[in-house]
Amino acid sequence: MRSRISENEALKKAFQHAYLAKESAVRGETWRSQIMRRVRKIGPLESSAGFWPAFEHLVWSLVPVICLLIVALTALLLSLDLDLGHDYLGTVTAELEKPTLSELFRFGS
Amino acid sequence: MQNDSLRPSDADIVRQILDGNVNAFESLVTRYEALVLRIVKKRVPPKDVEETVQNALVRAYRSLPTFKGKSPFSQWLASIAMRACYDYWRRAYRSREVPMCELTEKHREWLDAVMSEESVQAVDEAGSQKEARELLDYALATLSAQDRMVLELVYLEGLSVKEAADLLGWSTANVKVRSFRTRKKLEKLLRDIMQEGRKTP
Repeated sequence: MRSRISENEALKKAFQHAYLAKESAVRGETWRSQIMRRVRKIGPLESSAGFWPAFEHLVWSLVPVICLLIVALTALLLSLDLDLGHDYLGTVTAELEKPTLSELFRFGS
Repeated sequence: MQNDSLRPSDADIVRQILDGNVNAFESLVTRYEALVLRIVKKRVPPKDVEETVQNALVRAYRSLPTFKGKSPFSQWLASIAMRACYDYWRRAYRSREVPMCELTEKHREWLDAVMSEESVQAVDEAGSQKEARELLDYALATLSAQDRMVLELVYLEGLSVKEAADLLGWSTANVKVRSFRTRKKLEKLLRDIMQEGRKTP
């Protein structure tokens, strides 16, 4: 198998040294004032505080509460006796099986 | 002696700027110009360092409303400086203004010598940084702007893939794949240079 040239430790080191020892740039005296001139030209920034960022912030701050609510509701649902629903259905069915008033009247006559 | 506790924090200054105090940005420039300069001067030719640093800081000013303070300001600014360098090279490649020096026999001899050296120390002692730099510039000039940034960060500066991805604002997978491909390109380029040197009498 051919050895990789780029992985040669000596070459890598030589490249790294040359790269890091790049000559330093000389800063002019007007350097900082030029930046500030450009910045002043742009003017004051518009803060991102509007309706949507505020809404997003509110939603994110509510996330823990929502998670807690979901967990609590799930626990509550699991702990509930689901047969109760079944009983209710049974009662309704039994009620339906009872004779209506007209049926009772017909039987009576 | 300056008391650090009396200095306003970066977040305070950012808040002042967002409240409309444009001049407060100067204190951030004073605080972090050295950091930006350090990042830029390594990646951009000396003649364009000043302009790129200015572009990076002006871009940082424009992006201040997006600074949420989740990471330190220096880290946020470093990634902006890095993107300014990347944009510099993208523009340079687009306008074909990437300087490409001619390789001479001296560079090939240097490469052969380094490859035959047993120890890293022997290369340091040779002190031939000029050839190394020119050869490296030649190799970097053959790469795209993206490949160049990845090679510089991962291969030359020794950053991890994740650190490089964070600085560039790219995905880790993208940097990983690009790093692998770029090394292969560098490998081929160096091999070609060495073989060419052997062919010439």
